[in-house]
Amino acid sequence: MSDHASGPRAVADPVVDITDMYVFPSPERPGILVLVLNVFPSAPAGALFSDAVDYRFRVRPAVIASSGAAAAFAVSEDEYTFNCRFAAPREGGTGGQLVQEGTCTASTGQVVSVRVNDEQGGQAEGLRVFAGARMDPFFFDGMRAVQTIMTQKLAFAKPGNNTNFGQNCLSMVIELEVATVFGAKNSPLFAVVGETMRAGSITIRLERFGRPEVKNVILFPKGFDAVNRDLEIRDLYNQEDAFKLGPSYLGAYRARMNANLPFYDRLDGKTDWPLDANGTHPLTELLLADFMVVDVAKPLADHSFLEIERMMLKGVTHETCGGRWLNDDSMDILLTTLVNAGNGPPVSIGIGQATIPATRSFPYVVPPNPNPPPAGRPHA
Amino acid sequence: MTPALKCGATIASTGAAVDREFVTTAGVIALVNLQAQIDGQERQLRAGRLTTPGRVELVDLVSLRGQVLGRISDYERAEELAEQLVDDAPGSGLAFLARARARARFHRFAEALADLDVAQRLGADPAVLDAERAATFQAIGRYDDALALHREAVERRADLNSLGAMATLYAERGEIAAAERFFEESRERYRGVSPFPLAFLDFQRGLMWLAHGDLHQARVWLADAYRRLPYYAAAAGHLAEIEAALGDTEAALDQLRSLATSSDDPDYATSLARILREEGRAEEAHEWRVKAATRYEELIARHAAAFADHAAEFWLEAGADPQRALWLAQKNVEVRQTPRAYELLRHAAQASGGAAAV
Repeated sequence: MSDHASGPRAVADPVVDITDMYVFPSPERPGILVLVLNVFPSAPAGALFSDAVDYRFRVRPAVIASSGAAAAFAVSEDEYTFNCRFAAPREGGTGGQLVQEGTCTASTGQVVSVRVNDEQGGQAEGLRVFAGARMDPFFFDGMRAVQTIMTQKLAFAKPGNNTNFGQNCLSMVIELEVATVFGAKNSPLFAVVGETMRAGSITIRLERFGRPEVKNVILFPKGFDAVNRDLEIRDLYNQEDAFKLGPSYLGAYRARMNANLPFYDRLDGKTDWPLDANGTHPLTELLLADFMVVDVAKPLADHSFLEIERMMLKGVTHETCGGRWLNDDSMDILLTTLVNAGNGPPVSIGIGQATIPATRSFPYVVPPNPNPPPAGRPHA
Repeated sequence: MTPALKCGATIASTGAAVDREFVTTAGVIALVNLQAQIDGQERQLRAGRLTTPGRVELVDLVSLRGQVLGRISDYERAEELAEQLVDDAPGSGLAFLARARARARFHRFAEALADLDVAQRLGADPAVLDAERAATFQAIGRYDDALALHREAVERRADLNSLGAMATLYAERGEIAAAERFFEESRERYRGVSPFPLAFLDFQRGLMWLAHGDLHQARVWLADAYRRLPYYAAAAGHLAEIEAALGDTEAALDQLRSLATSSDDPDYATSLARILREEGRAEEAHEWRVKAATRYEELIARHAAAFADHAAEFWLEAGADPQRALWLAQKNVEVRQTPRAYELLRHAAQASGGAAAV
């Protein structure tokens, strides 16, 4: 599951659990960048945001520093933040329902007030914000993924079973006018991270999200890691600043990636990602720079997910916006990249789309399912 | 059990010693989300669509609600769900773990330990099982066994849960300084925003000071637990008793009336009857005494082991039937050989005019 339940802390308190992040240019309005942060896996009807959490996006200008085998981004120290904080609810909704209000504050000065579940959202100069219950757009065959790890053989089937079928989550959607909010001086590439932070004077990073499945697919399996075979590494990883990993556990993250990435590469029986003399996988450093990169000057396309990174590795110029569109089949793209580097037939999870695909207009993520099935239950 | 209030120390402002900046989700949000999760899972269960892990989660969620709201009916529901789960999934270690927790709630300690052994054979996480074993050992007075397992847990991972377990063990053994050290360290290790773990920890710390007779410290920690979780019945009940002990009787009575009406736990009616009797309000005291007695009879008939200690205390004080108290105190010692259980037995024996064989 993309980032659902990505560590003991997230499992213990779903209201802080980031399930996904999507970053894409608006499909219909040029010059608009859309940021989506989803939390609370399988959110039940009536679920509320925490008032003790800052739900935030961090956005930094970036450039491609190098291409080819040593592909890497250079990320600016300049940072834009969009911080959503919610209040304790009050009575006043129809039928005695609780009403929750929130405020999204941009580092550029805009403050947007939103009422949770109001589809119109709130607006300020260059910003529009929605917050509320939505249907979770992620789709994946979690059972087959586990089977793949257990048997060390690709176990996906066609059709697959979407273990996230019909589930809901809590979404924050921010539309921002790039020229108004970021100005014209930046390059068109931006690196984006989603975070949940404990609010107050003693802040703690609870969860972070850069790319899907870095934690649950790439870092979670322990069995291949000869260095830290017993370490549940995800909570440590979640606490890190994505733009500046601390030195304490960097070796552990590298070791885990260098152990697990070759496992995925071996799944088709051949090696597409030869390790270097130090045993380093070619994707390790690129993935450890765990943020989502979007090019606001390039068009949105289906399957734009990871396109910038994939083209960097090939040493050619990307053609799409990269980032991640809500309807991207991001798991097919990720698995294909890990297993055969795009040198072989696409690896498919056999699903193809979300329970109900996203719309092309604000707030993009579709309304919540009023009668969701049990979480984690396979559904064709 | 409600520890006796031994002194009337002057109380400073409520919660003043507690770090107000340690932010957690508002209690109302946490409870709304908990209730929403339970409602959703119960709907799936009724539709026959809930998986085994989902059913285990439901047992835990319902138990959690019971712990917060002081609802014995929730514990009964959790036990019912767990029993059914084991019947339906006899090969699941998680199912036996869930049933062990549910049984321990009702002081069915031997059965709970047996369930944990089965869960281990079925592959459940040994660290989780050891945490449950340690809690059970502690509950029945096997403190050395509990301490060994708690220490292993701390060595494995020193967090709020493992350090908090050490704190409550030392608190129960009356080693206040050591307990305080672990309570403090446990608190400092907390990295979440859910109010439940911190409120439960602070509640235990408050109980320790209450048992030790320091109302000031007890009030600080109980008030913090109550501030984080405004629906936390047990914290509200003990706070009301402290208020009464300090002379704010009317506020205490208001709070206890509210709790005694909303909760199905007779503890609050017991406290209410006792305070009203001390205030010379015999008629109202009698009403609450009868309600508590009736409810204790129901609970003893269904869960004798679980309510023997509380019921014995009731019959010793507000219930005014020391012979019945003695019988219940003996029942209590049969299932848990803790210092407090023996103390209760001695007290009941003295009140009934004889000496208990302890």
